[in-house]
Amino acid sequence: MATFLSAHGYDPGPSQRPFSAGAISGVLATAPAVGVLFAFGSLHVETAILGLPLVATLGLGWLAMAIAGAIYARVFGRAANSVHGGWLFGMAFGFALWAAGAVLVLPIASGGVAPAGKAALGVALSMLVWGFAIGILLPFVHRPLHQGLERGSRHPEVGPNAAAGNNPPLRGQRPKQNG
Amino acid sequence: MVRVLAFRKAVLAGVAGAIAMEAALLILSRAGVPTVDIVGELASVGFDHHSLALASATVAHLAIGVVWAIFYGYFCWARLKWPPPLQGLAFAAIPALLAILVVFPQLELMRHHAATVTIDVAALMAPLSTLTIAGLVIGHAVFGLVVGTIYQKPVGYPADHKPARPARRRLDGHEKQRRPETSSSFMFATGIECSYPTIERGHWRRDEMDSTGHYEHWQRDFELARQVGITHIRYGPPLHLIFNGRGDYDWDYSDAQMAELREFGPEPIVDLCHFGVPSWLGDFQNPEIASALADYAGAFAERYPWVRFYTPVNEMYVCARMSALQGLWNEQLRNEGAFVNAAFNLAHASVRMSDAILKRRADAIFINSESSEFYQPCCPDEEVRHKAEFENERRFLPLDLIYAHEVSEGMRRYLHDHGVTDQQLDEFRNRKVPDRSILGVDYYEWNERLIDRAGEALALGELFGWYVIADQYWQRYHRVMMHTETNKIDAEGAPKWLWRQWHNVQLLAKAGVPLVGFTWYSLTDQIDWSIAMSEPDGIVFPVGLFDLNREARTVGLAYKHLIDMYRDQPGYRECEPLKQMMQ
Repeated sequence: MATFLSAHGYDPGPSQRPFSAGAISGVLATAPAVGVLFAFGSLHVETAILGLPLVATLGLGWLAMAIAGAIYARVFGRAANSVHGGWLFGMAFGFALWAAGAVLVLPIASGGVAPAGKAALGVALSMLVWGFAIGILLPFVHRPLHQGLERGSRHPEVGPNAAAGNNPPLRGQRPKQNG
Repeated sequence: MVRVLAFRKAVLAGVAGAIAMEAALLILSRAGVPTVDIVGELASVGFDHHSLALASATVAHLAIGVVWAIFYGYFCWARLKWPPPLQGLAFAAIPALLAILVVFPQLELMRHHAATVTIDVAALMAPLSTLTIAGLVIGHAVFGLVVGTIYQKPVGYPADHKPARPARRRLDGHEKQRRPETSSSFMFATGIECSYPTIERGHWRRDEMDSTGHYEHWQRDFELARQVGITHIRYGPPLHLIFNGRGDYDWDYSDAQMAELREFGPEPIVDLCHFGVPSWLGDFQNPEIASALADYAGAFAERYPWVRFYTPVNEMYVCARMSALQGLWNEQLRNEGAFVNAAFNLAHASVRMSDAILKRRADAIFINSESSEFYQPCCPDEEVRHKAEFENERRFLPLDLIYAHEVSEGMRRYLHDHGVTDQQLDEFRNRKVPDRSILGVDYYEWNERLIDRAGEALALGELFGWYVIADQYWQRYHRVMMHTETNKIDAEGAPKWLWRQWHNVQLLAKAGVPLVGFTWYSLTDQIDWSIAMSEPDGIVFPVGLFDLNREARTVGLAYKHLIDMYRDQPGYRECEPLKQMMQ
């Protein structure tokens, strides 16, 4: 999969910083998502299910979303830099997280207890809002983190050794000597 | 970017699909079939006021339809070679599955009055009766059929239609370095991909500048080229949009861009005809194209008298082959006579256009770009060898004509068989070729081909390489040369390809061939070149120095590295063969 993506042009290359851009965007996008959770009363429900204090739940959530953001940016690669399409890719990722996380992981982690009613709706909407926000934010967060052309072009992997596919030097592989 | 998305079409398809889905389910419900009312299900969640709930649920349903249609456009459209409605139907399996396994059970949970519930999988799936599942499947099938029917052809436009004019020029040039008036440095070039053939029997126009967003981002594109250190840019103003008829030109499609290039560079190599003609001229079977394009070239040279470098007709051999032998573009014919006709019309056009330009600018320099090709017989079989030999002669035909080179005896017989007279050949043979003509040799990894036992041509990859193939062109024409196009479909392997092509150029120059430039084509990714633009699929071809977000690709960084390393070296800062030509 990774080879396919990289061969088809999604590989960010040496001058881009998808992990840091994704993590920062993930953290930023969590703010409106927390707002939604709060508005629907979902935050307190999740706190109760996890059995953690509010601050710890929030901290854990922010950390999880930073990691999720980094994964999003790396998986979608260059596509995540799209100002036009980013929101959709982000929402798709948010939906997938909701389906996998909120629907499966949370009930398993809590022994089968799941949010219901408005709280469940809040969880679903918060993940879509998070996805939408990270999709919108990432291209703008990523840009200042890019190395410019000047610095990026000095990476050894784009220099003349690329002609040899960046193979290591032939040191130590001497021709066989007679006798 | 995964695919080029036609946003409006996707929105329309999504809205129409969602309405059709709801209508189909309502009809089933009215017919007494117990099924799911999607809007009703959504309305019952999270809203207390009935009318507000229904309105909000309807909007939500339409929005979800739009999102899915956009998703379809980005990721799934044209992935299967099926009729579009069936593509949509197949795609609908994804939202249907998610609706059944995730969304519908969750909607049931959301209707609970308690804040938490204790559930297991069986309880979660309990509300899903067979009829509910059937209703969801039928609803999504209708949605998919409608989306697939509406969302088609995301790139290009009807041939009689004109796209919006390019973005206005921002006058913020005080920070930019001005283009040197004359320079005889080695040409480190790129190009803006600008092909504009028609497909679907002349009804649908492909326009790469439109599909790649150049009309919107043209000023940024030039700026990016300058940042890489590009000295020359092959630029093809859209002939089909500018040339409305004899004496009728719409320069709004080129004035601003040409002004920017004139002031700040890179120096343009103006590409006047790139795989297509305006619809009113028909196609390359029309004998009038030579005189019409000569008028256009003359008018262009008059309007932009400062332009010195021209490619009158790009890749004549490829254009004739794709249009008249392989049936993909323009006239879409598949016969030898049509190929000969197209090749002669194109060569004739190139000659007449050059003459028209020379009348306005006597020191114009012509870069006649052609695709370098080579055919290797797979085996000693007589027919296979004969076919390879013939193709190895045919590849030279348009260049033989414009460079007044004698065609081989075999080629002469072939041309006679298709109605060409000796007098027509002599007209080309007696031509005085402009002194300032550069032979541009393009090379891609599919240019070397194996003729197999069945007589079919198979792509060989880089067997002998640009050095060997370009040398065959040098031996035939003995003209100043330039590597005028290369790229690599595998974005990850592109820096390796770039440097290896560059070493080929260096080796040929070292062997004594006067070489004046090198080109990575193109500045940005292209669209649908993986299928030779034969269908309007919108598939991104990741070969650019920059992707379509205008973010540097690894090969863009590598090209800058290469240019920075060589541009001030002796022989590059001032390129002797080019200097002589510029005088």
